Amino acid sequence: MSQKKILIVDDDPEVRLSLHVRLKVNNYDVVFAGDGVASIAEARKHMPDLIILDLGLPAGDGFSVLERLKANVILSMIPVIVVSGRVRIPNREWALKAGAIAFLQKPVDNARLLSVIRHALGEKGSSEPVVYELGDTVN
Amino acid sequence: MTEKALHVLLVEDNAGDARLLREMFSKEKVESFHLTHYLRMSDAETHLAKGGVDIVLLDMGLPDAHGIETVRRARAAAPNVPMIVLTGLEDEALAAEAMKEGAQDYLIKGQIESRALPRALRHAIERHRMQVETDLVRILQLQLKDEFLSHVSHELRSPLTSIYSFSSIIADGLAGQTSPQQDEYLQIILKNVSQLQAMIEDLIMVMQAQTGKLSVELLQTSVADAIVYAVDTLRRAAAAKDITVTFRPSKTLRLAYADPTRLRQILTILLDNAIKFTPTGGAVHIGAQSFEDDPTFLRVEVSDTGRGISSKAAERIFDRLYQVSDNGEAGRNGLGLGLYIAQDLVARQGGRIWVRSELQQGSHFSFIVPVFSLEGLIAPILAHEQKPGEAIAVLSVEITSRVNSQAVPSEILSLARSLLQQCLRPDTDLLLPNLNAASEHMLFYVIAYTQQQGAEVIERRILSQLRRNGQLQPADFTIAVSHSFLDPISRDANESMKTFIGQVAAGIQDHIGKQSFQERS
Repeated sequence: MSQKKILIVDDDPEVRLSLHVRLKVNNYDVVFAGDGVASIAEARKHMPDLIILDLGLPAGDGFSVLERLKANVILSMIPVIVVSGRVRIPNREWALKAGAIAFLQKPVDNARLLSVIRHALGEKGSSEPVVYELGDTVN
Repeated sequence: MTEKALHVLLVEDNAGDARLLREMFSKEKVESFHLTHYLRMSDAETHLAKGGVDIVLLDMGLPDAHGIETVRRARAAAPNVPMIVLTGLEDEALAAEAMKEGAQDYLIKGQIESRALPRALRHAIERHRMQVETDLVRILQLQLKDEFLSHVSHELRSPLTSIYSFSSIIADGLAGQTSPQQDEYLQIILKNVSQLQAMIEDLIMVMQAQTGKLSVELLQTSVADAIVYAVDTLRRAAAAKDITVTFRPSKTLRLAYADPTRLRQILTILLDNAIKFTPTGGAVHIGAQSFEDDPTFLRVEVSDTGRGISSKAAERIFDRLYQVSDNGEAGRNGLGLGLYIAQDLVARQGGRIWVRSELQQGSHFSFIVPVFSLEGLIAPILAHEQKPGEAIAVLSVEITSRVNSQAVPSEILSLARSLLQQCLRPDTDLLLPNLNAASEHMLFYVIAYTQQQGAEVIERRILSQLRRNGQLQPADFTIAVSHSFLDPISRDANESMKTFIGQVAAGIQDHIGKQSFQERS
């Protein structure tokens, strides 16, 4: 089975590094973008299976990235998980309306993040539905 | 400084009144007023829509609009133009109503002094300008608060995310093998990350409540489910102190009319508190039953065998930032926002929270939330006056996922709910809360007071509204909308409204299927 590719869009190098370590070990191929413009270019170049998107970005924030992804026939097929430090209300609703499949608040519990990723990729063993109301706390 | 000429729009159909007013203006300097006069509301609306009017002088009895309707229409045509209404001597009550709808002032016909008129106009314009400015300042303040909140949330969470991510990477052995002692210390770091995160959540929540951003969505929901969720969340914390947590749901417990997320938050706060203040080996019990003093409420109680609260402390325990002073036995206590938040959330759902406690005797926290009642929900739309041919339609909207018969994610569920809400008329239509409390099955019911044609219009509106959304496309979901009418219920004059509402509610229940309204066992 070939490795699934995940594009991580975050301007914080620490977030990119920690996600890199975490996802590599779970057998995912990881590529990165640090700003809004680069994220679209990287998405075109790599055609990832999934995008993990931060909201606060230089050169076009996460919402405009999401809009541009969803406006493109091919890129709109890639599921997007928004992971942000911003307040849940109203960002969660905005993200979902713009076409993200989940909104997770930083810091995201590792087990939960992996479960949402598996769910988004349609992988086995992802029985957990994408329900995150109170649950984004680290335990 | 020369004053700019005021553009006055006079809407008055009575020729005599209009002439009198015109004469008053003719005594003023020509350059200070510019008067436009219309006899009909529709012409006035067209004129207002073009802009440029500084103030409207509005008669409340026109050939094509009457009473308060004139004010509403003028406001709708030009929301930011001040308005003075003209009324008869006996109509002061109507004038008061007009002021509530946004008119700046009223003048009684036949009692207008010619010199007072221009002054009244200038005052009305000035008052309106000040009001607009005050509103603007308030909106700006709220925006600033909001931006600050967003900033705080982001700036506090970013470093916390790094601490969490890298400590857990080390703890999970992804950066080399760790010693048992290192593992123990890493767990202490991670525990503190959780505490910090919970405190940030509390802070944000309180700040959001202050800017009016805290949402509460009332649904038909199970209190028992919320209790089970809270017990599940805090299972580990209880086990760590060897505290037994018991909950025996009553089989006859009715569903609440509350926000399921907020209920879980309240219960998590109360249970977390109980565990925190109960010594090792103690017990926490949660009970839920019909409220003894008022059966239209449910009462939930969280009792512990902890050290209890003095009566003096009990009075202040729900205050913001209040903390019971201790002798250091409970360790760090957090920000003191938990019970304040719980109280706020209970109040927002129409309930009340209190505590009964004695020192060394444990504490009993109780809160009440309303029982779900279909009658209470439909009463407002039935108050709407019935027109010939109108009846009660029940529309059902069913959304099914095409993907492997998967459950519909809750996000889609709440998205569909908010889209549906946008299709409805506020006074005559009602979207029933999810009837099956925990279901991921998307079946919504809309109750509408309408005619055959009206029901079809709503159906089409719902379909196109749902399909317009990118997430509810035919490839992923099938959407079925249908409607039928309840058997007509005669509403004779002798019958009380209460009986009528009861009959309609029974009709709806029969229609939808009684089982949907009962708590799952």
